[in-house]
Amino acid sequence: MKKVMVGNHAVSWGARLSRAEVIAAYPITPQTQVVEELAEMCADGRLAARFLKVESEHSAMAACIGASAAGARAFTATSSQGLALMHELLHWASGGRHPIVMADINRALAPGWNIWTDQSDSLSQRDTGWIQLYCETNQEVLDTTIMAFKLAETVDLPVMLVLDAFYLSHTAEPVDIPDQAAVDAFLPPRRARFKLDVADPHSFGGLVRPDSYIAMRLQLQQAMDRARDVFERVETEWERRFGRKYGAVEAYRAEDAELLLVTSGTITSTARFTVDRRRERGEPVGLVKVKMFRPFPVEPLRVALGDARQVAVVDRNLSPGRGGIFAEEIRAALYDLPSERRPEIFGYVVGLGGGDVTPATIDEIIERTRAGAAPEREDLWVGVSP
Amino acid sequence: MSERRIPPVAISETTTLATKTGSWKYIRPVYRDRVAPCNAGCPVGIDIEGYLNLLREGRWDEARDLLLLENPLPAVTGRVCHHPCEISCNRGRFDEPVAIHAVERMLGDYALEHPPAEAAPSQRPGEVGIVGAGPAGLACAYHLARLGYGVTVFDAASEPGGMLRLGIPEYRLPRRVLDGEIERIRAHGVSFQCGVRIGQDISWRCFIGMFDAVFVATGAHVGRELGVENEGVAGVRAGLDFLKAVNRGERPDIGRRVVVVGGGNTAMDCARTALRLGAETTVLYRRTRTEMPAITEEIIEAEREGARLVFLAAPAKFHARDGRLCAVECVRMRLGDPDADGRRRPIPIPDDRFTIEADTVLAAIGESADLSGLPAELAREEAGVAVDAVGATSRVPVFAGGDVTNQPRAVADAIGAGKRAAVGIDRSFRHMSDGGSDGEGLLPYRFATGNVSLARWRQADPVPRINSRNEVVPFDDLNVHHFRRVRRHHDERLGLAESRSGFAEVNRGLARDDAVSEALRCFNCGVCNRCDLCLILCPDVAISRRDDGGGYDIALDYCKGCGVCAEECPRGVLTMTREGL
Repeated sequence: MKKVMVGNHAVSWGARLSRAEVIAAYPITPQTQVVEELAEMCADGRLAARFLKVESEHSAMAACIGASAAGARAFTATSSQGLALMHELLHWASGGRHPIVMADINRALAPGWNIWTDQSDSLSQRDTGWIQLYCETNQEVLDTTIMAFKLAETVDLPVMLVLDAFYLSHTAEPVDIPDQAAVDAFLPPRRARFKLDVADPHSFGGLVRPDSYIAMRLQLQQAMDRARDVFERVETEWERRFGRKYGAVEAYRAEDAELLLVTSGTITSTARFTVDRRRERGEPVGLVKVKMFRPFPVEPLRVALGDARQVAVVDRNLSPGRGGIFAEEIRAALYDLPSERRPEIFGYVVGLGGGDVTPATIDEIIERTRAGAAPEREDLWVGVSP
Repeated sequence: MSERRIPPVAISETTTLATKTGSWKYIRPVYRDRVAPCNAGCPVGIDIEGYLNLLREGRWDEARDLLLLENPLPAVTGRVCHHPCEISCNRGRFDEPVAIHAVERMLGDYALEHPPAEAAPSQRPGEVGIVGAGPAGLACAYHLARLGYGVTVFDAASEPGGMLRLGIPEYRLPRRVLDGEIERIRAHGVSFQCGVRIGQDISWRCFIGMFDAVFVATGAHVGRELGVENEGVAGVRAGLDFLKAVNRGERPDIGRRVVVVGGGNTAMDCARTALRLGAETTVLYRRTRTEMPAITEEIIEAEREGARLVFLAAPAKFHARDGRLCAVECVRMRLGDPDADGRRRPIPIPDDRFTIEADTVLAAIGESADLSGLPAELAREEAGVAVDAVGATSRVPVFAGGDVTNQPRAVADAIGAGKRAAVGIDRSFRHMSDGGSDGEGLLPYRFATGNVSLARWRQADPVPRINSRNEVVPFDDLNVHHFRRVRRHHDERLGLAESRSGFAEVNRGLARDDAVSEALRCFNCGVCNRCDLCLILCPDVAISRRDDGGGYDIALDYCKGCGVCAEECPRGVLTMTREGL
């Protein structure tokens, strides 16, 4: 069944088809529609979940952790300041190995007060131990929500699926809604490896000594490493059942490209358009879309980028004092390639606070990259005067 | 690293019961039931909160029995009481008081339809003679009979009921209701001797000699005179006498224009009765609406039915034509400083006069007790028989109560006095030393500062109590965040035309479901009603429900004294006390 829906409702449908059992959330623009729709679904019986209204995002995540500890499939969604408020509990969720799924609708952090898209909110949570998956279309949003539960519950790690404010959250697109029975076959009910059990009472998250702590952190890292392969398997199964696949990294018209753009989120669609136009003119320009940010897909990126002469990374985010965050991660990932296979990497900071990134912006990035023998500095800003 | 396999998450080897967090605390929660303000405010001494809670739980028969344990006449008081319980109701500071009177009325009517099947109490030695079958006498008789004593009630009138039958109009208190409740008292073994006036048909000396104790509750039947020039003219009469005549079935000729003097319930009864006889009715009151002693609903009803209220005015002279009243000359008043009872004193403005044409004046400025027919050896105070806290007079074994003593004149006060006298007589028969005459010894048996409770006196409270403390729960001790605002239900009333055309009951009370909704509005102040909030909110899961239905147990090994339960308890039942105290 196809329906025209906004990205936020694609998230809601994904959570519903995944049969989330506990949903705890606090409203924030531009996320609110996600949980409004879920609240309606719970109220009218379409979704048999316990919907908890809480007093803050901190409590929302705490409630999800509690629910997950009791063995339930837990879901929440937030944005920006709300995600920042959750920070402490994001660590509790991953350290406690709770396979919670959360949608983050990318929104800039204040001040100045700004409700438009910017990846700095999710990327600020880079080191909290959450898997992060970025989406380009509403169909990808819905599919990723469901796959996120399978991935999370396989590796016992929480997953954050990320979509752009307004460009996806409030933009309607046709979305194919998978059949519930088929989703049930893909994603059976959760079977928790560790959970609260009154018949066998234990406490979770208590004091541990350094030797145990580092052993647990190693297992967390190993689970993250495993998540790359598991995601590949999850996607393969999804493709087999539903005919769609996205990839942790997607190369688009990258064959024999001298210059490769690297994008994430909705800028990818704009970049596809630009690449298509340039390819029609015979220019060797391609695109690599990064869907998975944590764990970072180092090997696929080496493969995808290793043969280009120039790489232009487009970042709608900023680590102040460093620059675009995807660019920084890609430089580190490609550093130990042999020098003859290592492209020049240009980092461009664009569209912060929801500014338009148009084909002209992408064209400017391509022209500036071609004109430079080497990056003049690590962060190149587009669309703003110094 | 150790050989032991480290799990991926921090998981304890044993249960959390190993960690006795209770050792951290320096204060601990304690459940202590207290007294709801309605109970303390009830002159009858009814466990109002208790029966509302039983109704909340759908335990109708137990609610009825609890009500009847304390009040012999709930269908009567549910209709005519001035319900001070509602004034003290904490809910009044939140939205509107619980409509207690309407619930009591509904439950009183339920008790008439579904009389309790009670085993007769074991008889105790002691015969009591009661003089006066009004609310005080009936209450005393009822409680003594239920305590196992032999009781005979004497009354000068031809039927029992006293002022309830003689003075209160039928449209406020249908006689079938009064008859039903008196029947129930009779069924408890009380004998009635009507048409007998003690002191006249039987001498007091002889009468007192016939019984082991005597309770005098002869009431106040003498209308106070107005003290106005020409008061003896035909057409000026005592309001109470007028009401008695109508209640006997007479329809006295009062003419077309009636002036009622007074602002109390008798005045309102006179005005509304005169309206029903077709008269234009004016009420003269020397103070303002604020100072009127009548029940507010009665004032509203009198005005609704067409009575004209004239404030700050008093009769100064009655004018006659052909030997019959024709007009009332009135003087305007102003309010001066407050007098002894706190109401502002009316002061005449001598030259400011006006005249109202009138065929009849009904004087309703209060009634006095006629003490002349009582034994001379009963000491007096002010205008009544002097009594102690349990109604004992200066003459053993004579007790007294109700309007014949110097006490408030409401029906509920009379019923309450009858109950206290029953307790006093029981105590004297059993030669008990507690409950001393100064009232101090009675304290444990009262609802805080309120009246005596028979449940407490008999030490057979059907409601389980937790560590009771005999003090009222103030509003500030409640946590009203757990309550939602709900509108109070208002009594249904007969239409105006129907009201004025006869003596059918005007106030129709509440439908049964609405009355139950009112019971559900009760906060259950100070009484644990097992709402489970403490159990749900305890972060240490240290609170558990008791199997016997009587509240909760706190696992003190784990309660770390955080105080969340006490802070959140909606009813003020949980308090924190210092450890070791």
